[in-house]
Amino acid sequence: MAGISEKRSGAYTLLAYVTLIVISIFCVLPFVWMALASIDSNVQLFLKWPDSVTFDHYTKVFAEENGVRWFANSLFTVLSATFIVMVVAGLGGYALSRSKAWWKQPFLYAILLIRVLPSTALLVPLYKILLTANNGIGTVLRPLVGEHYRFVMQLFGFIDGYLGLIIVLATGQLPLALWIMKVFFDGVPKDYEEAAILDGATLVQRIRRVLIPLALPGLAAAGLFAFMSAWGDFLLPLILLSSPELQTLPIGLFRAFLRVNEIDYGLLAALATIYLIPAVIAFSFARRFLVQTFSGGVKG
Amino acid sequence: MTTPMIQLSGVRKSFGSAEIIKGVDIAVEDGEFTVFVGPSGCGKSTLLRMIAGLESIDGGDLVLNGKRINDVPPDQRGIAMVFQSYALYPHMTVAQNIGFSLDLKKVPKAEIAREVGRVSELLQLSELLDRRPAELSGGQRQRVAIGRAIIKQPRVILFDEPLSNLDAALRVQMRAELQKLHQELKPTIVYVTHDQVEAMTMATRIVVLNKGKVEQWDTPIELYNNPVNTFVAGFIGSPRMNLVPGTIIGDATGQSFKANAGWTTRLDNRSLAGAIGQSVTLGMRPEHIQPAIDNVDLEATIAIVERLGAETYLNLRNGDDTLLVRAQGDLALAPGSTVKLALNHGAFHLFDQSGRAITG
Ligand SMILES: Nc1ncnc2c1ncn2[C@@H]1O[C@H](COP(=O)(O)OP(=O)(O)O)[C@@H](O)[C@H]1O
Ligand SMILES: [Mg+2]
Repeated sequence: MAGISEKRSGAYTLLAYVTLIVISIFCVLPFVWMALASIDSNVQLFLKWPDSVTFDHYTKVFAEENGVRWFANSLFTVLSATFIVMVVAGLGGYALSRSKAWWKQPFLYAILLIRVLPSTALLVPLYKILLTANNGIGTVLRPLVGEHYRFVMQLFGFIDGYLGLIIVLATGQLPLALWIMKVFFDGVPKDYEEAAILDGATLVQRIRRVLIPLALPGLAAAGLFAFMSAWGDFLLPLILLSSPELQTLPIGLFRAFLRVNEIDYGLLAALATIYLIPAVIAFSFARRFLVQTFSGGVKG
Repeated sequence: MTTPMIQLSGVRKSFGSAEIIKGVDIAVEDGEFTVFVGPSGCGKSTLLRMIAGLESIDGGDLVLNGKRINDVPPDQRGIAMVFQSYALYPHMTVAQNIGFSLDLKKVPKAEIAREVGRVSELLQLSELLDRRPAELSGGQRQRVAIGRAIIKQPRVILFDEPLSNLDAALRVQMRAELQKLHQELKPTIVYVTHDQVEAMTMATRIVVLNKGKVEQWDTPIELYNNPVNTFVAGFIGSPRMNLVPGTIIGDATGQSFKANAGWTTRLDNRSLAGAIGQSVTLGMRPEHIQPAIDNVDLEATIAIVERLGAETYLNLRNGDDTLLVRAQGDLALAPGSTVKLALNHGAFHLFDQSGRAITG
């Protein structure tokens, strides 16, 4: 009996491993193709070992195309949005965790609903609102800044400006981040804060020296998800930005892909590789906090 | 009489419409080890947190060392607290945890190090100063939590069930260490527990709380010998006091107790002539009922025998009543057999219908 079942479980294990390996290869192959193609002097549409290694595609991204600018735009808007998300979700998640207000549960489900609705469906009203806001801020700023108007509006405009994109990106990521932080703070006993109160810590000291360190793993998780999701967002920058100097990396990639006369797979692969790197770095950075043990003084 | 360190007069607290603390009057003398004991949910933690300043006071006065402190912020009361969860900051080392309050007060680093050294020596934590709480055992965490409290040299240290997260052996050890600490430093301690053994072994005085009210407030041995009501009688002492319902009957020679189960026993040295016919409860500690051959008061059937070696616990049935007997020595008695019992008449407790002790 035992022999049969052992054999059987052995076969199952083998089957499981084979399946997993096939799936893994399936998942990894596009990235392998991309990485190889980005340094191949003779790129083909199929997977192959580079004929000879070249960095021309990368040079092209930065020298001929506006790659540096796209990259900087992406990084600036997404990092700013992530920062806003972490601050607001940290404070808001804390409040939502500790509050006993009656509207707490309805509010939490309402913000989740925002997340569930397809953002494409929200684009039209969102655009309308942003346009109105943009006109408003334009009217205020125009007499103040005079000849610098165009430049200032690229910074603070809601349409075709950094501020608008940052705010919209942050708003999109906030619901999930708020939930993460709320659930996280639910798991942080009030005892820590009360002990700090008795130790004579002011509100600011409690936040800085106790709550933020305690919340770091949660903030890292919330920040990571916000960064990755905003970094991958394509539709919002496409709709909200029109000036060439404001383009972000995914838009640059998209435009390069659309050029009808020639599709330069080497350039596209290099662009895509560059596009991937910050996400990978963000993940490896946040992983440290995610796995950080949190057993502290709570368990006996 | 000197001013007490802590005085509570008519202290009240409600959460919403539920009154949790219903007028508490007690005083804790300087250097005393006072224990709040009571069943879970009776309001012990709430009362302690009111003293700490973590919970507002709805009515009455809280006076610390002669000064009313109802509205003084927690950190200015000179009170430290050890939490049930210890609440050690997981991101700080042991040294940082202990020195945190001094660090907040901007005490120079060298002085903090000196103070932390002194406290950690006292608590045998010197070897562990660079560890984080996650790397400590339960008992070590407990000591760090105590260190964090005593480094402030508080006038009062509050403990909320500090031993409940430890296993039984460690609990006994920490109990001894806490007593030693109290003898060395002589702080005023208010200690909350639901475990009456902890209360009996450590307290100078015990406050028995029930449903937000003080049932009795006295020294451990006084509570044991003279419980004022059936609640205290049943709560203090392990195993529990036997409480047998019955009535007082009288004849020419004096008064007797007649249990509802049928047996009677004489009530000596009491003036209960006026109480004849009254329903009462007879309280007897398990050690005051003994298997006997002479002067037998009643017989009972053995349900369970627990032989511990030095003593034997007998769980007996008599009518509807369960009797617990704590007999000296090892008794090899068989469950199901009957046993003759003699009662220690001098150690009887009588309670009236409302549960109050009859002192006549
Ligand atoms: N913040 C609070 N809000 C509402 N009810 C509370 C709060 N804290 C405690 N209570 C209630 O007060 C009662 C006493 O609680 P507590 O003082 O913690 O009891 P104990 O420590 O004696 O077990 C309990 O019924 C509890 O539910
Ligand atoms: Mg409690």
